[in-house]
Amino acid sequence: MTGLVLKDLKKRFGGTQVIRGVDLAIEDGEFVVFVGPSGCGKSTLLRMISGLEDITSGELYIGDRLVNDVQAAKRGVAMVFQSYALYPHLNVRDNMGFGLKVRKVPAAERERRVNEAAATLKLDALLHRYPRELSGGQRQRVAIGRAIVGNPDVFLFDEPLSNLDAELRVHMRSEIASLHKRLSTTMVYVTHDQIEAMTLADKIVVLRDGLIEQVGSPRELYERPGNLFVAQFIGSPKMNILPAASARLLAPFATPPASAESVGVRPEHLAVVEPSDNVLRGKIALSEYTGAVTLMHVELPNGQTCLVVHDGKDLPAFGSEIGLMADRQNLHFFDRNQMAAQQ
Amino acid sequence: MTETILRQTTARPKDVPWLSLKYREMLEAWLFISPTLIGFLIFFLGPLMAIVYYSMTEWNLLTQQATFVGLDNFQDALFVNPDFWHVVRNSVIFALGLVPLNMALALTLALALSRPFFGVVFFRTVFFAPVITSAIAWAIVWKFLLQGEAGAVNQMLAWVGIDGPNWLREPNWAMAAVIVTRVIKMVGLNMILYIAALQAILRDYEDAARLEGASRWQIFRMIIWPLLAPTTLVIMVITTIGSFKVFDHIYQMTGGGPENGTLVLAYYIYQQGFEFFDVGYASALAMIMFVIVMVLTVVQVTVRRRGME
Repeated sequence: MTGLVLKDLKKRFGGTQVIRGVDLAIEDGEFVVFVGPSGCGKSTLLRMISGLEDITSGELYIGDRLVNDVQAAKRGVAMVFQSYALYPHLNVRDNMGFGLKVRKVPAAERERRVNEAAATLKLDALLHRYPRELSGGQRQRVAIGRAIVGNPDVFLFDEPLSNLDAELRVHMRSEIASLHKRLSTTMVYVTHDQIEAMTLADKIVVLRDGLIEQVGSPRELYERPGNLFVAQFIGSPKMNILPAASARLLAPFATPPASAESVGVRPEHLAVVEPSDNVLRGKIALSEYTGAVTLMHVELPNGQTCLVVHDGKDLPAFGSEIGLMADRQNLHFFDRNQMAAQQ
Repeated sequence: MTETILRQTTARPKDVPWLSLKYREMLEAWLFISPTLIGFLIFFLGPLMAIVYYSMTEWNLLTQQATFVGLDNFQDALFVNPDFWHVVRNSVIFALGLVPLNMALALTLALALSRPFFGVVFFRTVFFAPVITSAIAWAIVWKFLLQGEAGAVNQMLAWVGIDGPNWLREPNWAMAAVIVTRVIKMVGLNMILYIAALQAILRDYEDAARLEGASRWQIFRMIIWPLLAPTTLVIMVITTIGSFKVFDHIYQMTGGGPENGTLVLAYYIYQQGFEFFDVGYASALAMIMFVIVMVLTVVQVTVRRRGME
């Protein structure tokens, strides 16, 4: 059983506190995604788990072993880097077998394990090639293959898809997901792309400024965000945040909690209706056609812009006035501290 | 409508420049490179051609009389004059001593000074400062430091009970002393080249190797050193060429002595041309040196390229 436990983990670089106390439990075989904006500490946290960064304070357990002072190579983890980190002077076979070679695994065994991993990732035909002769997606597969060969207890991925184009990213995302299903090994994955997080994760950890904002399944985070930051970070396009008073116009039977200061509603949960005094009114300021849907920018009377996802049928004209409504259960209320307001 | 537009745009405007864009850009490019090109023709290619001609003459600077002698000067150097091969041997010894020592020291310093730490800029400056110091001034200072009994080096050795030799006057030590002073003078340049190369190597390679269980030595031997190969090749070529061209240190510190023990090719050419005024023979020697350096460079580049493949 190789889960991970992080207890009050902290990291300081000189005078800067980067990780400010992280408590987290990761189950054996779970796919956990660290997500957050640039500089939130997600990569640092991953490097602390790998052993590439020291832990300033707190405790890190891999399985039931405290590994704070265990060397990176002896933690049983393998990492896939954003840059792939494939050694340019070694061919694919030697890249994949490097770790086994330095650990003095016999050549025959090395060969067998490299071939096995290559077959899993369909790299058989590329084993003699050098990294410069591979496409971005192939390089990424080799990087994953190199991690698999070591047979680690935990896989760590540091933004592995961010150097790929959009199409390849979608493809590689599904390959990583199916790899996880096949291997059932614990995986910790860092990304700033919330779509990647939503599609891959069993559990998402949202980080900001070195602290965890919320931990939960993708559905929990989408449907019940714990605070305003998570509400706006998860979901694309991001959630509209309006004054709490708007709630009654959006959904006539909505009853905002007494502590509510603002109400959030996702663009895909807004419906366009005829404008009247009983609904939220606004003017179409911009329409962005994306193919499947159209994203409308609606200017509200208070000057705010509200995003609306529209299916494109009977699309209101530019500058026309429309009304907006939403289901009561799709409204999210937040108090003055930007936390989810309790009913 | 479209036809009207097409007709309008295909009519040639009256204010078209007399040169097309392609030729104007070409002209601008030539204008930009012309200062360097003119300098190259006057100060490099011209003298080189002149030396090719001089090398086939018997020309005495004092009498200012030049006689065409064909390849006699080359024949004299290569097959008649025993001094030439002695001088070549000295130059090879100098290069064999200097190049590996310089490169090993430069790499060691670069490995120590490539990562940031408090005082790193100070140390880099200290090791680079000799490179920008006047070579003659450097040689004069070291000539004093390496004097027999009065030299600072021997005085320091005496403190620890070692009776140092007269470094620049003893045939067994003079060459080594000149090599070491030259290495200290020039090592900073190669150190900077290695530092730049080390800093360009992605940190992730080292991290990935560490995670895979490689020791520091394995990381250096299996990852860093192969990735430094292109830089090592450049350093090896320029240091070898530099070592064959060494003149100032020899001129100032030993004058080619003792017993011609440090008489190297560049200094020998100077002697023949400006002490014995035999310009024709000196030019032939310069041509031979040019060919030796070219051949060594081609060999090094070929060997390294094969190694990298």
